[in-house]
Amino acid sequence: MTWAWRRAFRRFVGDRAAALGTALILVLILCAVFAPVLAPFPGDVGDFHTANRLHPPDGVNWLGTDRMGSDLLSRILFGARITIAIAIIAVGTALVIGVPIGLLAGYYGGWPSNLLMRVSDIFLAVPQIVLAIAIAQTLGPSIENVILALSITYWPFWARLVYAETRSLKNEVFIESAIALGASPWRVMALHILPNIASAIIVRTSIGMGATILTAAALGFLGLGAPPPAPEWGRMIAESREFLPEAWWYATAPGIAIFLVVMGFNLLGDGLRDILDPRIRRGGGAK
Amino acid sequence: MTALLAVEDLALGFATDAGLAQVLDGITLAVERGQVLGLVGESGCGKTTLARAILGVLPAHATRISGGRILFKGQDLLTADPETVNREVRGRAITFIPQDPFTSFNPVFTVGAQIMEVMKWKSPRRTEAEWGGKLPPLATRYPAGRRQSDFNAVIELLDAVQLPQPRQLLRKYPHELSGGQRQRLMIAMALLPQPDLVIADEPTTALDVTIQAQILGLIRRLATEHNVAVLLTTHDLGTAYEICDAINVMYAGQDVESAQVERFFAAPAHPYTTKLLASLPRAAGTASGIPGEVPLLIAPPSGCRFHPRCDRAAAQCRETRPPVDQFGAGHWVRCYHPHRDVE
Amino acid sequence: MRRLEMILSRLAWFVPTLAGLVVIVFLISNVIPTDPVRILLGENATQEQVEAMRVKLGYDKPLPVQLARHFRDVLLGDLGVSIYTQRPISEDLAKRLPATLELTLVAIALSIALGIPLGVVSALRRNSAVDHALRVVSVSGLAIAAFWLAMELQFLFSMKLRIAPLNNRIDGFGPEAVTGLFIVDSLLSWDMESLRSAVSHIALPALTLALPAAATIVRFTRAGVLEVINSNYVLYQRAMGMPLGLIVWKYVLRNALISTVTQIGLIFGVLLTNAVVIETVFDWPGLGTFAVQSILQSDHKAIIGFTIWTGALIVIVNLLVDIAHSIIDPRGAR
Repeated sequence: MTWAWRRAFRRFVGDRAAALGTALILVLILCAVFAPVLAPFPGDVGDFHTANRLHPPDGVNWLGTDRMGSDLLSRILFGARITIAIAIIAVGTALVIGVPIGLLAGYYGGWPSNLLMRVSDIFLAVPQIVLAIAIAQTLGPSIENVILALSITYWPFWARLVYAETRSLKNEVFIESAIALGASPWRVMALHILPNIASAIIVRTSIGMGATILTAAALGFLGLGAPPPAPEWGRMIAESREFLPEAWWYATAPGIAIFLVVMGFNLLGDGLRDILDPRIRRGGGAK
Repeated sequence: MTALLAVEDLALGFATDAGLAQVLDGITLAVERGQVLGLVGESGCGKTTLARAILGVLPAHATRISGGRILFKGQDLLTADPETVNREVRGRAITFIPQDPFTSFNPVFTVGAQIMEVMKWKSPRRTEAEWGGKLPPLATRYPAGRRQSDFNAVIELLDAVQLPQPRQLLRKYPHELSGGQRQRLMIAMALLPQPDLVIADEPTTALDVTIQAQILGLIRRLATEHNVAVLLTTHDLGTAYEICDAINVMYAGQDVESAQVERFFAAPAHPYTTKLLASLPRAAGTASGIPGEVPLLIAPPSGCRFHPRCDRAAAQCRETRPPVDQFGAGHWVRCYHPHRDVE
Repeated sequence: MRRLEMILSRLAWFVPTLAGLVVIVFLISNVIPTDPVRILLGENATQEQVEAMRVKLGYDKPLPVQLARHFRDVLLGDLGVSIYTQRPISEDLAKRLPATLELTLVAIALSIALGIPLGVVSALRRNSAVDHALRVVSVSGLAIAAFWLAMELQFLFSMKLRIAPLNNRIDGFGPEAVTGLFIVDSLLSWDMESLRSAVSHIALPALTLALPAAATIVRFTRAGVLEVINSNYVLYQRAMGMPLGLIVWKYVLRNALISTVTQIGLIFGVLLTNAVVIETVFDWPGLGTFAVQSILQSDHKAIIGFTIWTGALIVIVNLLVDIAHSIIDPRGAR
């Protein structure tokens, strides 16, 4: 088993796209963690200097300043914290809720499982953002509410995925024999089923992070995210609208930041898929 | 040059991530008009590759042809104009019966539509005037008169391959038919263009055992009736014995022996052939195998590729590949130490 | 017969799905810690006024009763009155639906017209420079925030280059309303002036919407074509000397398209969600701008109405796609 992992690792490292993706995400994490150190004007997250407003990029403010005169580069670096927090917590919560539900439903079957899956289907019938808008708007604009809205609308995806995988695995002979040998349901689920579906989950988690960040940015753009002066990237883009076309840098910087981060997660996810689960049918990689 | 098809010293390899796989190493083969030639060998010996090379459907970017000729009616297919070969040889003078009839039909079109498509382009009634048209394929029309006569020919041949209710059958989709029915359709499609040669690539491997004998018999009978030559690849010696006039044996990309069928089974000369025949299960219940494994073609054994597994191997076998040794009428072998006994 | 059964069973699920959607949305809206009545009446309302309004609007009844009433209202098409426009919400939504629909349909058409040929080319010239470039572009397309792309394109084409109108759907009053789709209506009444204006206004928003969708279509078409090209039936046709153009454009494309059609339903959902944000950038008078304005006004009922309508729309489209798929693919395997 170990040398298979080593070979996979080497293939992963050799895959330039996956390496690029990983690099981008590491940069994101570094920016977020070391924002106070990296940012030239760490105070600009809260302070403002209206005299300096809407300055184009120059030697002092590498990315220019926003409508309050705050340094965009610093705000973007601190915004990385918000982005990461939302991504990790929202996706994590959805996983923590959805995976066990899917496992139990897939393992036990019966009408409660069917009901749960039908409920999931209803959630999945509607695009995530539509429901998330309703939830976030109801609860009021804040990061916590965005995370809540995203988690609530994301867990059904995982439940459905894990349910389908569990059900198909359950018919495999090795599961039947484990049960016949007297393994308890917990044991079967934790030691036999979960490791086998882990690769599918991991791949989709990476891609799901990217998708979640995009949705969160959209919510921020619509005004449903953290209220000002929080440096949330989506909101920054919304703020920049009225200052186009003169202050072009204002919109460009956060947009590119979002792009790089989501790209990173997508490339990472693709790379992981190529090594972990080549049988998932997806666009772009068919042999 | 009397042979209908003559492969001379064909050598080719596939470029893979691990290097060049030397899949065919100087193959020589001849099929006469109306003859049924069996190409026998284990999985991976290159017989399917050879069939595809003759048909010209090997993956262009990965294939490296390093030598040899494929002469069909005297013309080298490898150097001829590809457009002409595609129009006049493939699907017309040389047709194809694939191994798996299920996946060889397009699943979203009816079998009738697919057969008539073949007839539209490859019918023997297609005239030179039609060939002259330079319209793109999608815009080319199917003349109504020819269409009717083609359709009649199709029905007639479907009867000949013993498919009941041909008209209803043609309206079905491939997944609605049985394996035997699909293969009969394939046989019909291979004969409709009135070819000179049919290449049948393991035509019964994907079928039930009970159907296999029927299909083989059908192929043999129709070939004789229509005076069509058949190049049949198979890993099963029993199949070869049933319907072939002559047999060529391949091992790991090299051809090792060729003989008329009676002589082949009576007096096999190559050590590999004798081992193959010996490995057929006996009525008494014994069966023997051949020790060792088929080599990887990335780094094949030098000289005669069978030498690692041969109990007659000598230094000479490792160094150079044995030349063709004429053993008698229509019987040659490539071996330094063939079995000369028997008879 | 099998197909009919399948369609009927899908229709059967349509109703419970919508019903469940209504329930879920209702439950969501009742998690409110804030008081909707107070928001409706404003800061200066007295406690008595608030209580009176609460009784009038039925907020004092127990939850199941409220749910039942909500259901009745939805079925009757009554989604309440919008704070913003002071008109019935269903009326507002109905007025704006054609705008969003037209935008989405044009975007789908554009993305297909762009995506499928590029996907085929990408597959046929696998691993060439063109293929790699297309793959990079299509992967990037999925990482760009739609609203940001809209703003940047608007900046470039409307503000800087001045070749596209800045916003809105049309100059002037538009053609005689038949379907509400300006392009169709202009053609129906042969109003060339309106047609030109409508097309020039829809160009940029539809293109913005279409690009990410086109990226997805390129990916899926490429994979579909590659899979088909390596199939045995293509091998058979090549072995039988069928013209290459025929094989690719009649047969390969048909098989590859089948998987793409399945994706159209998914793509429509993506398009609709992106339309919501893109509409605000272009001031496009559709469901999206309605939603955004309602958000700004904290107009709960309007948001609920929007959610229900959008959800229903997508469920309907997915149903239609399923039906179309079963017609195109005789295998009926789903």
